[in-house]
Amino acid sequence: MNNKPYLFAESRFLLSRRKFIALGGAFVAALALPVGWFSQKLMQRNDYIKARSKGLYRDDATAMLRVSHANPAVEKYYRDFGGEPLGHVSHELLHTHFIDRTRLKS
Amino acid sequence: MTATTLQPNEMTGLITIDAARCKGCDACKKFCPTGAIDGASGAAHSIDQSQCLSCGQCLMACPFGAINENHSALETVIQKLADKNTTVVGIIAPAVRVAIGEEFGLGAGELVTGKLYGAMHRAGFKIFDCNFAADLTIMEEGSEFIHRLHALVKGEDNAGPLPQFTSCCPGWVRYLELRYPSLLPHLSTAKSPQQMAGAVAKTYGANVYDMEPKNIFTVAVMPCTAKKVEASRPEFNSAWQYNKAHGDHAAEYADMDAVLTTREMAQLLRLLDIDLATTDEYRGDSLFSQYTGAGTIFGTTGGVMEAALRTAHKVLTGDEMPRLEFEPVRGLEGVKAASITLYDRALSQNVDIHVAVVHDMGHNIEPVLQEVLAGISPYHFIEVMNCAGGCVNGGGQPIDPSGSSWLAAL
Repeated sequence: MNNKPYLFAESRFLLSRRKFIALGGAFVAALALPVGWFSQKLMQRNDYIKARSKGLYRDDATAMLRVSHANPAVEKYYRDFGGEPLGHVSHELLHTHFIDRTRLKS
Repeated sequence: MTATTLQPNEMTGLITIDAARCKGCDACKKFCPTGAIDGASGAAHSIDQSQCLSCGQCLMACPFGAINENHSALETVIQKLADKNTTVVGIIAPAVRVAIGEEFGLGAGELVTGKLYGAMHRAGFKIFDCNFAADLTIMEEGSEFIHRLHALVKGEDNAGPLPQFTSCCPGWVRYLELRYPSLLPHLSTAKSPQQMAGAVAKTYGANVYDMEPKNIFTVAVMPCTAKKVEASRPEFNSAWQYNKAHGDHAAEYADMDAVLTTREMAQLLRLLDIDLATTDEYRGDSLFSQYTGAGTIFGTTGGVMEAALRTAHKVLTGDEMPRLEFEPVRGLEGVKAASITLYDRALSQNVDIHVAVVHDMGHNIEPVLQEVLAGISPYHFIEVMNCAGGCVNGGGQPIDPSGSSWLAAL
C-alpha cells in the first residue's frame, strides 16, 4: 500500500534527505523545550477522556434507575407496541444483518 | 464491474486530507485503525476511501488541521427546524452530554444533560434521548446473548455462535465487514442505539407525537463521524418498510434523516444564538427522554458490557446485581477481561461468563480476533469500540485544545 511512486525520488542511503531534516528539526525543537514539558504533556494527554468518562459514571451513579430492564419507558414501549425482546416487531425494527464487503461489486 | 466496499448510495469521502495543508508528519497514520492513509513522510498524504472507516481519529490527531470532514447536514436541519409541518426529533447520544459543554466554555467532562435538552428545545427539537434506545439495545442484545449462551450450554446449534460481539460501533462493524466476513455471525444482530432510535421514532413515535411518519425528521447528535455513514446504509429504512406493510403509501424515507456531530450541534446552537452554558434546564417532552444509568455509560469503553451484565444478572438469577459498579471493565487498559459466575435459574446450574472489552481497536483487536478465528477464544461476550476511551473520545467530539494529540504517536 505504501509502494506508490511519489513526485520526488530519494536515495536509499540510511536516511532520506527529508527524514534527516525532519529529525534534525525535532531534535533542535526538543532542546529548546524544558524537560518537564514532554512528561507533563504525555501524562495529561488522556485527561479529557478520563474527565468525560467520569461525567458519564457520575450520571449513572446519581440516576434514579440504573438498570435497563427497570426503565418504565422501555416497559411501556414493549407493552404498547413492541411486544417482547426478540419478538417479531423487534425483528422488523430493532435487528439488522451485515454485509460481506469483500464480495461487493459496483 | 469493479470491486467496491460500499453498497449503492452509501456515503463515501466523509474524511479527506487537504493536500495543500498536509505537512506529511505521519501523526494521522498512527491513529488510523486500518492503515488507510497513504503517503511518504514529508509528502502530502491521502486516504484510501475503500479502507476508511470514517472514524475521524486522524482528524482529531492532525496537528495542522489538514483533515476535512465533508457532508454536513447543518443547513438541512436548520431548514427543517423552521418548517412548521415537520416534527424534528433530536436524538442525543450518551457521550455528547459530557463534551458539548467544552464548546461553550465549560470544563472538560461537565455533565450538561438538562442544559443540552433546554438548548435543543429552544432550537425547536423534540427531545429523544439515545440512552432510551441504549436501554432498548440492552434488552435486545442481552436477550440475544442469553439465547446463544443457553444454546451453547445445552449443546444446541440453533443460535448464533459465541463469543458474541457488540454491534453498536459503526467503525468496528465496518472493520469486521471489510476484514473478517467469516466472523460476521458473531456480531449481535441488534442494531446500534442510533438506528433503533430512528426506527422507533418513525413508528411508535408517530403515535406518541401524533404525526405522520413522513413528516418526522430524525436528527442524531453523535460524538462520531462514522455514524453518518451508518445512517446512509440502504437497509436502514425499516420504519418505512414497517409502515408500508401497515397501509402507509408515503415515498421511501430513511430511519435516520441526518446526523450531526457534537461539534456541528454546537455550531448549530451558535448560529441560532443559543448559549448552552446559560440555558435553563429542561426535562424533555415525552417518554423518550427517560433513561437509566445503564444506558448512559454506553458512551465510555466498558459501558455496554457493564450495562449488559446488570440485565443478564437479573434475567439469569432473578435478582438484581448486589453491586452495580463492575470495576474490571472500567478504565483505559487496551483489552480488559473479566469473569462472573451466575446461578442460572432456567438451567438450575452455575454458568461462568467470560467477557472482554476492547477499545482503541486499531492497536488491540487483532490478537482477540485471531483467537476467535482459531476457535480458542476464552470469551463469551466481547465489547469492541473503535476509539480510544470509547465514544467520549469519538471523531465527532470537541477537539482537545491542548494540541498534544500527536504525542501519542511517539
